[in-house]
Amino acid sequence: MEQKKGDNGEAIAKSMFEMARLKVPIISIVIGEGSSGGALAIGVGNKVLMLENAIYSILSPEGYSSILWKDSSRYKEAAEKMRLTAKDLYDLKVIDKIIKEPQEENEEENFEKVAKTLKREIKNLILEMKQCTTEQIVEQRYEKFRNMGEYINL
Amino acid sequence: MIVDKIKKREPTAKRKTANIDIPVGKWIKCDECKEIIYRDTLRENLSICPNCGHYFRMHINKRLELVIDEGTYKKFDLNIETTNPLQIEEYPKKLKTLREKTGINEAVACGTGKINGEEVVICVMDSGFLMGSMGIVVGEKITYSIEQAIQRKLPLIIFSVSGGARMQEGIISLMQMAKTVSALTKLDEAGLLYISVLTDPTYGGVTASFASLGDIVLSEPKAMIGFAGQRVIEQTIGESLPEGFQTAEFLLEHGFIDKIVERKDLKDTLAKLIKYHKN
Repeated sequence: MEQKKGDNGEAIAKSMFEMARLKVPIISIVIGEGSSGGALAIGVGNKVLMLENAIYSILSPEGYSSILWKDSSRYKEAAEKMRLTAKDLYDLKVIDKIIKEPQEENEEENFEKVAKTLKREIKNLILEMKQCTTEQIVEQRYEKFRNMGEYINL
Repeated sequence: MIVDKIKKREPTAKRKTANIDIPVGKWIKCDECKEIIYRDTLRENLSICPNCGHYFRMHINKRLELVIDEGTYKKFDLNIETTNPLQIEEYPKKLKTLREKTGINEAVACGTGKINGEEVVICVMDSGFLMGSMGIVVGEKITYSIEQAIQRKLPLIIFSVSGGARMQEGIISLMQMAKTVSALTKLDEAGLLYISVLTDPTYGGVTASFASLGDIVLSEPKAMIGFAGQRVIEQTIGESLPEGFQTAEFLLEHGFIDKIVERKDLKDTLAKLIKYHKN
């Protein structure tokens, strides 16, 4: 109910604000479908990892095609256009690393492999960031998001 | 019956104007009361309907004229262009057409100026440019303005009007939210004043980033402000929303806005707040 009263825009803004100035390292991992402000509200990390088959986008493909082309049935076309795969986002420098997801027949084994890789990556990142001062941690995160989105100088 | 018909035929004010030979583009219809208004009259009345008091959305230049002392506005020397990260074919064409049509480069203008003699950094958004949406250029200009405020030790004023993140630039638009917010943490650290002024309508990624984070958040009367649109929320939660939801008045009552200020009082209110903060 509280969320309904104010909508959740302010909550997202405040969450990002606190993350941006937090004095300890933050690792964000996209593990499924992350989209819009809700995902970014917990995504302002020093390092952003993403599972190979996860997606991360401005909006769901249905919502995207509905807004841009006023036709939510064009979601497939939207999904192609949006550059929402882990590889796309790595190329766009939105994420730092892709976590491989093996596609063996035994699903349980796949899951375990992914979990193990994640554990290793998290541990390595923590060890790496332990070497940094508080200032460096805050500054590294700031620079990362400050430089989001290349533009052309005219 | 006959009386009814006669009544219907009675020429209304609208009818009268419709019969006159009007030069195209000189008149505008009020969305609220449907009255036809002479554009010059509207302009002289701060873009407020003289008949019902409805607030029209303001062009960047009109807004600057409203709050900035004459001749003091200096826009930042920042001429940048999007890289069109999703390679959407029709997007650059659309930008070009809009620039010609609106006479503005992007959905935000930023620079320095004086408000009743007080120097500030000011950003003004415009709904006439892709619904004031925030892509790379808007995000960069807002962030640059925040950094300029820090460098020059000046208060920051942002007038928001926006549909949210710019769809044409996809996830990179979303990232502009984190970028502008990160910059605001530095402004906060520097102890500088940031006044966010919300105008109708302010939605999506703009509400969910810099627009909500003012030390003081002001709004124009009856402005619609939210994150997701009402229809989307209702469909998602399966409940109807309370009366007046997402209006400035509702948000004031629930503590998200500090004050609703009429357009004619905006400049003096801003100047007063800046002076208070200085002392």
